[in-house]
Amino acid sequence: MNSFWTKTISLLTIIGILIFYNLVIADRNKTEEILRLKSELEQDSLQSGVDKSNKDNVDSRYKDGVYEGEAKGFCGQIKVQAVIEKGSVSELKIISAEGEDSAYFDTAVSIIDMIIDNQSADVDTISGATFSSAGIKNAAKQALGKAENKYEQKD
Amino acid sequence: MSKKIKTKTQKRILNYFRRVVQLLFFIFLPSAFTSAFSGVKYIFTQIGLKQSIEFNSFVAILIVLCGFTIVFGRLFCGFACAFGSLGDAVHGSYLWICKKIHKKPIQFKGKWEKKLLYIKYLLLSVIVLLCFSGVYSKMSGWNPWDVFSLIRSGNFHLAGYIVGIVLFVLILIGMALHERFFCKFLCPMGAVFSWLPVIPLFSLRRDKNNCIKGCSACKRCCPANISLPDKNEMKCSGDCFQCQKCVNTCPKNNIHIGFFRIHRNEIVFTLLRILILSLLLYLAGV
Repeated sequence: MNSFWTKTISLLTIIGILIFYNLVIADRNKTEEILRLKSELEQDSLQSGVDKSNKDNVDSRYKDGVYEGEAKGFCGQIKVQAVIEKGSVSELKIISAEGEDSAYFDTAVSIIDMIIDNQSADVDTISGATFSSAGIKNAAKQALGKAENKYEQKD
Repeated sequence: MSKKIKTKTQKRILNYFRRVVQLLFFIFLPSAFTSAFSGVKYIFTQIGLKQSIEFNSFVAILIVLCGFTIVFGRLFCGFACAFGSLGDAVHGSYLWICKKIHKKPIQFKGKWEKKLLYIKYLLLSVIVLLCFSGVYSKMSGWNPWDVFSLIRSGNFHLAGYIVGIVLFVLILIGMALHERFFCKFLCPMGAVFSWLPVIPLFSLRRDKNNCIKGCSACKRCCPANISLPDKNEMKCSGDCFQCQKCVNTCPKNNIHIGFFRIHRNEIVFTLLRILILSLLLYLAGV
């Protein structure tokens, strides 16, 4: 019975430390977010119109439309659909993912947000779900490759 | 005589029951053990990156399996873990082949076994440190569990997995020669489980007064070499993975689960726990 209580106390300590750690990190993230938004607001008011037109130029590397891509995931094929609106990736959807393990796939789909944020499929794979996230990434790469504005670049 | 036959069939039923449960879990929930361990790796990777630990599906499965183990013991290891089932199958086949060719199976037993039990803790700490330092995500191709998962799901693109394949084959050989070799000595998830405080309500115990003098059948058949506590002792070894082989071996049917004396109703009781486990894993999104 003695070892039972020792184990219980150490388990509770570990859980306590993890919860405390999470609270500290959440607090830090909040402060950072506030600082980031503040500096963004200042920059926006300093240079308003100029920046925006620049941004449009960068984003127009894609043609508007709906594109599909396919790549191998953990077991089967993963199919994705990319929606390009006003020259930028507005949506990336999984159409089918056969044979993927749901726990791993659930973790892997967070790569979609990274791709949309980055406006390109050149992102790191999710550690712990390497196969599934690499599948999504490669499928997205194929879809975005089809959407790339090759003609304009040649001009 | 009729009573003896009855217990024999009952023992056989208990044995078949375990095989069927293992097979079903192997087919339908083969990735629970890697998912749970991914939860451990995820937690330490995030701490290493100084990022918050989010409640993702890996963490959910880790919590479910740990919670279940605290209440019901390591039934997951004995009945539901795909890697453990693989080990049982490999060891069973080895014994079967030995029987067919009339050779005595090689046995490794000795005091060294007890010392080797600590390897799993060492392995766990090494993996956790690698995750914490961020080295782990850069290592690829060495994990024998990845090799197993890939082969099991029919993906044979194993190029770049040479180290993993070699380790996997070595583990398979170990599993064949020594029952539950991996679970006992190497499994890092097993190391986590054996650190958990298992509530001794549902642990296996025996009525020592009723034992045949000098009999140690239960200890000798136990893959984890545990000597069972008396029915009045509130004890549970962290290394017991509830395979319940001892229940089947005892010549006097002297071993029971829990103190409710559910005599020879182990199947019903185990089935109940298996159903609870499946439900929990389903809810956690395996």
